[in-house]
Amino acid sequence: MMYEDDVPPENRVDLAYSGLDLFPEHLSEKADRIQSLHLNNNRILVLPRAVSLFQELRHLDISANGLTHVSGELTHLPNLRTFIAKNNLLEDGALPKELGRCLSLQVLNLSGNGFMEFPEQIEGMAGLRALYFGANRLRTVPSEIKHMSRLEILYLGGNQISSLPLEVGSLSSLMSLVLCDNRLESIPPHLARLRNLRSLSLHNNRIAALPSEIIALRNLTELSLRGNPLVVNFVRDLSYDPPTLLELAGRGVKNSGIPYGEGDVPPNLYRYLSLARKCPNPKCTGVYFDARVKQIKFFCNIYA
Amino acid sequence: MAGMDVEMRGNAIDEMLKKKRDLNPLPEPETLDDLVQGLKIIFQDNEINVEEVNEYMSKYKTNAREWYKYAKFDHHRYTRNLVDQGNGKFNLIVLCWGEGQGSGIHSHSDSHCFMKVLDGTLDETMYSWPSDSEDECELQKTETHSYGKDSVAYINDSMGLHRVENSSHTNTAVSLHLYSPPFDMVECFDQRTGHRKKVRVTFYSKFGQRTPFPDQGPTCTEQADVARTGCTSVETLEPENN
Repeated sequence: MMYEDDVPPENRVDLAYSGLDLFPEHLSEKADRIQSLHLNNNRILVLPRAVSLFQELRHLDISANGLTHVSGELTHLPNLRTFIAKNNLLEDGALPKELGRCLSLQVLNLSGNGFMEFPEQIEGMAGLRALYFGANRLRTVPSEIKHMSRLEILYLGGNQISSLPLEVGSLSSLMSLVLCDNRLESIPPHLARLRNLRSLSLHNNRIAALPSEIIALRNLTELSLRGNPLVVNFVRDLSYDPPTLLELAGRGVKNSGIPYGEGDVPPNLYRYLSLARKCPNPKCTGVYFDARVKQIKFFCNIYA
Repeated sequence: MAGMDVEMRGNAIDEMLKKKRDLNPLPEPETLDDLVQGLKIIFQDNEINVEEVNEYMSKYKTNAREWYKYAKFDHHRYTRNLVDQGNGKFNLIVLCWGEGQGSGIHSHSDSHCFMKVLDGTLDETMYSWPSDSEDECELQKTETHSYGKDSVAYINDSMGLHRVENSSHTNTAVSLHLYSPPFDMVECFDQRTGHRKKVRVTFYSKFGQRTPFPDQGPTCTEQADVARTGCTSVETLEPENN
């Protein structure tokens, strides 16, 4: 797999799809040579204490085993770089409290489990480079995520996330941010600080508008937006409601800069004029009151 | 065969080759190598029998050890990894799809396109060609399909456009594509407007070796339709009282 290039083939053990009911403790006889261990797709329900015997272990894949919790012994592996435990039965509280002590850990994959809360232990993992948390039941992302300063890949697709903390914008090393298939209604403009971001996946959310600051991201070459009301509304809401005469008069007064004071117009009209709103498009100097065409397009001069 | 014109001679050769395969059917493709060699024989013909290719590709049972060297994934988008150039008659390519990765909506340059899933699951959404009449019109979805390991799908331009994606958030997907004749340009379409643009398709690796492309240019992954001026939705932005 992608991550194991640092391990010569003779130091890899592949026991995936082997019908195992127990963790192969007997392999510890050769522990000094085992750097990569694939145990995915078995029936290993428990990660036993014996895992700490494998002191040379760099990569461990224990996906699809029906695991309900991860033993603290994992943190006694000084060289562990990759831990993959996707498609198990892990829920809140399943991870060892001391997981943050695993300073060597760079890649953590917990996709396809049942977490509802972002585990606190992960928030402090400043050395983590990739976190895969797809297809769980997360509803929010904690602002403490800002401590994960080395994070390059953050996969949160397929959860129930309805908003993002602005602190996600502090993850300055982030190159890939996946948020598709969630319940996001907006994106904080602070994401524009992610100078290293190359891909942003936002498809299938409930986003009505994108902050225009996203345009500033020069390294962003992959962006998915389909399945958001951002796109759908444009087709449906091209309205044919003409503005009222009152509106047109109001616009005329404002756009022409005709001076007026409180005594010059009836109080109800004076109040009406104060409700004029500016179009958010910086290039548009006009105002509107109630009637406007909702131009829902995403415009950017680097994708043209 | 003297006295026949070129086309008649070509057809006669095709018939002979087909009859030869009917009498001596190709052996079952046990390995990826077998598959490639068998496809080269099939594609000696001028006319392609879609059913025959479909059936032959179905017979190969995926074995990760055989295509592992082509399975190079990228964090940001799906990759295209050239396996064989089919003596100029076709390109055989392994596509690697990370979790959640998908293509844009595209056509197939008047070529045959076969897709066999080697790992994971791929979802296909088909669309009709945009009509020539209207300027901007949303593309119409026609069918959706889900393809699992070892299944084979086929498409050509007369059938419409499609988007292919790995919808899984936990598993990657790998597929084997055969395009005949080979092409290096596709048209990519915007779902909302039907606008199309030509995109050069490049290889992430060739014959197992990584081949970075200096300047990617526009790619055929999904991209929002763009223009140079305009504004984002008025609805949710805070109005400034004037």
